Amino acid sequence: MTNPILKDSIIVADSVDKIYPNGCHALKKVSLNIKKGEVVVIIGPSGSGKSTFLRTLNQLETISDGTIHIDDINLTHKETNINKVREEVGMVFQSFNLFPHKTALGNVMLSPMKVLKKSAKEAEAEAKDLMAKVGLADRMNNYPSHLSGGQQQRVAIARALAMSPKIMLFDEPTSALDPEMVGEVLDVMKSLAGGGMTMVVVTHEMGFAREVADRVVFMEDGELVFEETPDRFFESDNQRLQRFLGQVL
Amino acid sequence: MKKQQNLLLWKMLYVLIMIGIGYGVYASSKSLSYNWRWERIPQYLISFQPTDIKAPFDGSIESVDPKEHKIVVQSDSGQTFVVTKYDKAIAHTGDLVFEGDTVATIKGWHLGSISWGLVMTLKISAVALVFAMIIGLFTGLARISHNPVLRYLSVTYIEVIRGTPLLVQIFIFYFFIGTVLNLDRFTAGVAALSVFTGAYIAEIIRAGIQSIHPGQMEAARSLGMNYIKAMVYVILPQAFKRTLPPLAGQFINLIKDSSLVSVISITDLTKAGREVVSSTFAPFEVWFTVAILYLVLTGSLSWVIQKLEKRLSASD
Ligand SMILES: Nc1ncnc2c1ncn2[C@@H]1O[C@H](COP(=O)(O)OP(=O)(O)OP(=O)(O)O)[C@@H](O)[C@H]1O
Ligand SMILES: [Mg+2]
Repeated sequence: MTNPILKDSIIVADSVDKIYPNGCHALKKVSLNIKKGEVVVIIGPSGSGKSTFLRTLNQLETISDGTIHIDDINLTHKETNINKVREEVGMVFQSFNLFPHKTALGNVMLSPMKVLKKSAKEAEAEAKDLMAKVGLADRMNNYPSHLSGGQQQRVAIARALAMSPKIMLFDEPTSALDPEMVGEVLDVMKSLAGGGMTMVVVTHEMGFAREVADRVVFMEDGELVFEETPDRFFESDNQRLQRFLGQVL
Repeated sequence: MKKQQNLLLWKMLYVLIMIGIGYGVYASSKSLSYNWRWERIPQYLISFQPTDIKAPFDGSIESVDPKEHKIVVQSDSGQTFVVTKYDKAIAHTGDLVFEGDTVATIKGWHLGSISWGLVMTLKISAVALVFAMIIGLFTGLARISHNPVLRYLSVTYIEVIRGTPLLVQIFIFYFFIGTVLNLDRFTAGVAALSVFTGAYIAEIIRAGIQSIHPGQMEAARSLGMNYIKAMVYVILPQAFKRTLPPLAGQFINLIKDSSLVSVISITDLTKAGREVVSSTFAPFEVWFTVAILYLVLTGSLSWVIQKLEKRLSASD
């Protein structure tokens, strides 16, 4: 970490390559630095490697080449305990992935108790606070199957926050939701961003990108094509970006 | 309303068929001119005959004291054996007794040999079930492990066990492994049953784990859980719930398969039945009784598992 630009970066991805076992070259020399408290939105066409890149940041996908540092820890170093890193990096999935055998509150409490060894009492108190924060104080004892999609996604956010992460990764958190529920989830994410959380968000919600992002990144064909502040991003005359925006807007 | 009437009709048909079957059994036993002697059966379930209290050694009766309710037996080498709990004294003061002679009798009930067989079947099945679950769980996990050695070993075990008859396995366990490791009958029987059932449970558990959406493992891992914690707290509880019906079937098979251990002279329900048949000459009654007792065991097990399923379905 001799480079001064990288000093206040919390995520440093350097020339990351990912080739899946089936030969699919999903990431090609992707480099991205993200500073503490920054909100970065990644957009790009389907299959461009957005999810793959996000998932390399907590090593749900291993990388084939390059390096990733999270909070100065080299993820691919032999001695790195990836479970410790994951405690600091929360992730929210497109399909929620709540634990169906636990209540909403049980979902939020599980990891603090089993990983951070918190007492049930402490974990429950914190989980209740978080549930209130995402606006679900009255749904704590519901099983996921008895919650709407928007509610489930908010529980999933509370569950990730319960580990007090330094970084939150969102992979199309609103894509599986009915349109009327998108707003409630985006609102929670906005307030999280307002609270200074470092966030990396893959989304097709251009409004969110414009309003909340500090930087927007455009990926295509496994390459990071273009990154800019939202104002300049949407004004840009980059050919590939224009073509993509022309399709989605 | 029409639907309900139809249902009633079907129920009546069912009852008629059952009566028909019952009559068939009755008629065929008539045609065999079989003498039903059901009265001989109950004593093998529970007996109210007085129990004998036997002398533990050769010796003589030192005293029979009705007032203090005490019998003292003195052995030739000077040991004494005192009986204070009895109902009827058989021996008299000064009698010579040999080891095993009845000194007195005591009233009360005790289990008959069929009931003891039932207890043995229950014991063997319960112990084998616990071990089969443990073997099945670890083999199932090994089966989906990334380590090829674990994978090959578990596949070999599963294929060998599922490809050979249980009866043959019991003989191998008793006569070969049992001799090498010096196992008693019970241990050999339990081991054979556990290893046999474990192979089937392993496949059920593997399928159960693989049926859980991979997103569950990813969510657990992304929350900082290691592989084992994610398995224990997230994947296995869901897989267990999903595999409960096939597991129940396997447990019931285990109870029924346990009847095969009678070939290595373990006195389980089946062997007890065979012994009682030879002493009562009432084979039909005995085998019907044995069948009903197996049904009671398997029926209670399914009932318990159904209750469990109901409770687990709270999250559906
Ligand atoms: N597990 C996998 N094995 C093999 N190839 C994969 C795997 N996951 C993704 N890919 C491939 O990698 C490429 C990038 O996929 P990725 O899921 O990262 O795209 P994406 O940008 O998230 O797309 P979407 O917007 O549809 O979610 C695609 O070509 C995809 O087919
Ligand atoms: Mg994706």
